[in-house]
Amino acid sequence: MGLIYGSGSFTRFLVDGGLPVDYLEEFPKKIARFSFRSIDEASDQERSSGWVDIMDMFDSRFAAMEYLKEPCIALSWRVDQRKVPPKALRRYCREAEEKIKVSENLEFLSKKRRQEIKEAMQAALIKRAIPTSRTYDMIWNVQSGLVIFGGVSNKLCDEFTEFFLQCFGLHLKTLFPYSLAGRILEKEGKDALLLEDLRPSLNKVL
Amino acid sequence: MQLIEKAREYEFLGREFLGWLWFKSETTEGGFSLGEAGSAEIHFDGRVVLQTEDEGREEKVICLGDVWRSREARFALAEYKTITEAKVRLRIGDNEWSFVLDSTWMNFKSFKTPKVIQDKEQDPDGLFYEKFYLIEQAMSAVDAVFASFVNLRLSADWEESELPALLQWINEGR
Repeated sequence: MGLIYGSGSFTRFLVDGGLPVDYLEEFPKKIARFSFRSIDEASDQERSSGWVDIMDMFDSRFAAMEYLKEPCIALSWRVDQRKVPPKALRRYCREAEEKIKVSENLEFLSKKRRQEIKEAMQAALIKRAIPTSRTYDMIWNVQSGLVIFGGVSNKLCDEFTEFFLQCFGLHLKTLFPYSLAGRILEKEGKDALLLEDLRPSLNKVL
Repeated sequence: MQLIEKAREYEFLGREFLGWLWFKSETTEGGFSLGEAGSAEIHFDGRVVLQTEDEGREEKVICLGDVWRSREARFALAEYKTITEAKVRLRIGDNEWSFVLDSTWMNFKSFKTPKVIQDKEQDPDGLFYEKFYLIEQAMSAVDAVFASFVNLRLSADWEESELPALLQWINEGR
């Protein structure tokens, strides 16, 4: 469930660097370029990801630039993935191997041949797999540079920051206790390097 | 230094914050100043995860239920475990949020806002802004409390009075 509807989990990032002066002209083009496109069922494509409307995961047209919600850009990152169940792949590979052994009168198949069969089966079966869809809300306050992303796993956050970089050409810095503390000190006009001297204190002998 | 290494090296800051937050929520009846934004109540609620800080010796204790009454959680604190995750209830005025804070990234998990008034069909933008405001309000409150902790942690008061009081409170959990 997304952040806007119901409950969710989120990680915070800061956009590294300033916003381009012409972002209102440039970002719509970038968002359109990286909008979500469904997996072509006839292809062997396993994954597709892109932006969708934060209020409607089936809409990626952005006809009225619905993502502009001042002072934010609000979008959902939709990730569709289709997978061949491993057991089904093993079963179809086994059947294919047996047929080849019989037709070619072979007792064993080489590792290379078995790999080729596996790849061919994977490519054939993926077309029959139904994609699963997930969406992760993103709310970017363009004034403060803060980005709220509706995911918390390290792998997912890495994939998202990469996607964000590709789309907007901007790096995201993850906020965590040390960087949050540094930000607080800087806002108060103090030296963030004060944090470097800190050492754990709760493991002191009672 | 890689981000992940920095996060791990300074994870103790997040763990100490969660420990201090629990200590303060119990000894000040949950009241925290948010500066110009007023005040908030924060209570530990339902789940706390504690772990040893030693890398070679990984022990984890998960306490569920009435954490503030949980002797196991307090005992684990006294046995040199520190808090890596805590479910908290935040109250500002009549509004109440619940979420899990984690020590490594300080991200918000299972985040629930107060009930929203705006309707998705009638006013989708209204719903967005109401929800966004509620998310920002909770984040700002946690950041304000964390800022108080950071300033205290860097001051002489930490070693002189706050840390001894915190350690004494931890020790009372045995």
